Amino acid sequence: MSYLRTSWYALPNLLRFVLRRLFVGVLLCLGVTLISFILTQVVPGDPVSANLGDRAASDPVIVAVFRERYGLDKPLPEQYALYLQRLVQGDLGESQQTHRPVTTDLGQYLPATIELASAAMILALVFGIALGVIAAIKRDGWPDQLIRIISLAGVSVPTFWLALVTLYVFFFKLGIAPGVGRLNPGGKAPPAITNMFTIDSLLTGQWATFSTAISHIVLPALVLAIYTVGSITRFTRAAMLESLNQDYVRSARAKGLPERTVILRHAMRPALAAIVTVAGMAFGRMLSGTVLVESVFSWPGIGQYAYKSALALDLRAIMGVSLVVAVIYIVVNMAVDLIYALIDPRIRLG
Amino acid sequence: MMDARRVSRLLSVGMAAALASSALMPIAQAMAQDAGTLVVDTAFQLKTADPAREFEPTANLILHPVYETLVTFKGSDLTKVEPSLSEAPVVSADAKTFTFQLNPAAKFSDGSPVTVDDVIFSLNRVKNVKGSPSFLLDGVTVSKGSKEGEVVLTTEQPDPGLPYKLANPAVGIVNAKVVTANQGSAAADADKTDRADAFFATTSVGSGPYVLEKFDMAAEVVLKRNDAYWGEKPKYEQIVIRNVETSAQQMNVMRDDSQIALDLRPDQLDAIKDAAYTISVPSADVVFMFTNSNADISPVAANSDFQTAVRLAIDYDGIVNIAGEGAVRPGSIIPTMFAGSLPTSEGPTRDVEAAKAALAKSGIKDPTIELTYVSDITKNGVSFADVAAKMQSDLKDVGITATLKPSPVSTFLDDYRAGTLPFTIVWWGPDFPDPSDYLLFGPGEKVGLRAGWKAGSSPAITEIAKKAAVEIDQTTRTKLYDEWQKKLNAEGPFTGLFQPAFSMASSKTLEPVEYNAMWTIDLTAISPAKQ
Repeated sequence: MSYLRTSWYALPNLLRFVLRRLFVGVLLCLGVTLISFILTQVVPGDPVSANLGDRAASDPVIVAVFRERYGLDKPLPEQYALYLQRLVQGDLGESQQTHRPVTTDLGQYLPATIELASAAMILALVFGIALGVIAAIKRDGWPDQLIRIISLAGVSVPTFWLALVTLYVFFFKLGIAPGVGRLNPGGKAPPAITNMFTIDSLLTGQWATFSTAISHIVLPALVLAIYTVGSITRFTRAAMLESLNQDYVRSARAKGLPERTVILRHAMRPALAAIVTVAGMAFGRMLSGTVLVESVFSWPGIGQYAYKSALALDLRAIMGVSLVVAVIYIVVNMAVDLIYALIDPRIRLG
Repeated sequence: MMDARRVSRLLSVGMAAALASSALMPIAQAMAQDAGTLVVDTAFQLKTADPAREFEPTANLILHPVYETLVTFKGSDLTKVEPSLSEAPVVSADAKTFTFQLNPAAKFSDGSPVTVDDVIFSLNRVKNVKGSPSFLLDGVTVSKGSKEGEVVLTTEQPDPGLPYKLANPAVGIVNAKVVTANQGSAAADADKTDRADAFFATTSVGSGPYVLEKFDMAAEVVLKRNDAYWGEKPKYEQIVIRNVETSAQQMNVMRDDSQIALDLRPDQLDAIKDAAYTISVPSADVVFMFTNSNADISPVAANSDFQTAVRLAIDYDGIVNIAGEGAVRPGSIIPTMFAGSLPTSEGPTRDVEAAKAALAKSGIKDPTIELTYVSDITKNGVSFADVAAKMQSDLKDVGITATLKPSPVSTFLDDYRAGTLPFTIVWWGPDFPDPSDYLLFGPGEKVGLRAGWKAGSSPAITEIAKKAAVEIDQTTRTKLYDEWQKKLNAEGPFTGLFQPAFSMASSKTLEPVEYNAMWTIDLTAISPAKQ
């Protein structure tokens, strides 16, 4: 026992931190499966009614076949135990709405959402940090007021409405954006490597497909980014204002350093910690909250999959999505903590 | 300040990058404009590409061009079956034996001929995988006929409606050898052994004018012309059916990003009618109401005079107005486009005084009743909440207080099927286009029981239904269904409210497109506009 303890403390701090977080993450995932399993059971409604046609749902033989195929004929504890047993083997069960393994569905839909959310995150970071810095530098001036209005609008505008208006203006009226979907109608997807079309087309040198994929992702990513731009702008502004009032910034200015260096090197770095935190949270939120944008832009991602699964009471799919979202949050939070430590040397992991 | 300008420059670079990406659009769009490709937008209701397991509208739309059936329908006419893989069947006098003669020219997309064995395999597979469409072949036995290329279907009970069921894409004929080689089975235990549904999503094994090129249930389905097709070649080389929400469909057609939009609301058609052909016609779904005849569920609803009062209190024209342009009211429960439907004039009409009199006769003072409706979906854009509110207002005029009870569809269906709703608005989509599908509304039948209408409640109605179920003479059959529905209107708990409109738009670069209640539109019949 003491050997284990000695070995544990002999590990580098960073590795100990990662291992501990991974262990807690596994427990959290287990908790998520249990909660989502219980919730799917207590929700009123029978998957039989939601998935079979009117006639079929009234036929006891067909209903029995359906229940048996999806393991719904077993007692609840046994269903959950079987689920965990298969989960360990990487099997999330079969979706009642797509008749395919949930892992296959997630492998298809999750990359589409990650691709969209990543593009949105890049846009949100570029615009959010830039606007936040400008607002802090021009505190209480007209740029600050204008940016405050923009960021407030960003967090206030309903996403569904914004998505429709964006599509109407840029696609329908101006004709400078393509229509819905990840590619043009009937367009051939690049060979599947990551199932993210922009990445896969780049990796395989399919430039025409890359151009199409990029053009299709711009509008939905912009819409998805708007809310996060607002929050990143506000956090950046607040963090920058705090930094700009610190002694070391005054010292830097007193030394006669150029203002650009003072802001980008001295004030910005401590502010980045707060920005990374909010960006991490926002990325998780984006991944799990894309359903409205995906719906308007016909983006076949995990948001639409989750929504349809919920409507169809597709228990295995709901649990699969819940688990994946939980894993994403855990990984993103861990990544944020690691980046936090890299940015701020005062933070010690372990 | 210098730094603000720098940051602004950074910002500009970011925006320029985004706009540069947008500038690629014309290139992308140019790639999409391929004259040989037809793009159809619809909001997918799709679960599988396996005909034996599908029973969703989008699956019918997509699989109809891929899997031919023994018989089919032409255009929008669902009252007459037409030859397809077989000639129209020879029906025995007792409506229990149906003989089909296969067309010897018919062949699958791989060039192999469509044989009697393929038909037997395909139909038995539909029965035995015990999926949603299995009921279509309940009690049906399929066997070889005495002649070459002859298939004989026999039924346990007389079933003159069987040929209409056999036009459903769910009973499309598949290549037995290929399906068997890919985990398919038509054996009695196919519900446990058949695992071919995954295979059907990767390829197609039918004899139709198109083959499946891509099947993505979330994004799009691509059909490619079957170059080995044995019949008349379709006009388009490729058809892309995309999963697009209603809100974007209108824009897509107007910008020629797609040529057909299938899920528009009637109110969207005005904006588009100059730019595209529009259709707003009654769909085959019937929205109806019932007051539960089971006194254990609600003594108020079960009172026959109360039921009469409700029937006479409703402003049916007002409800059809809510449903919008293109919606109609059926005379009873069978939709207007099917053989055996009653004219609208045969349905009850609003008569406030008569309703009050019926209510007085019921002996129930100041009745209150719960009106349950589905709150989270609409029917072709018509909100059940709007219809329920209108009914509540109409009932108030005669002294009936209806308490509105919204319910999510998943829980509603359970309650409805369990027969526990006292008063509700619900819909019935046809399983097959024959009036026999509606005999389920009779006393003691499946839908009748949901309204608490027990067997033996109305022997006269049951008697007519029995005759109508076995009658094969079309004229006599129609008369029997007329009579059955008139009695249903007078004595039953059901009242047809409306058939919501099916509204679609198609580009003027196409010849006008017809609506078909079975597969929405016939993709194989669409052709470019004549110059």
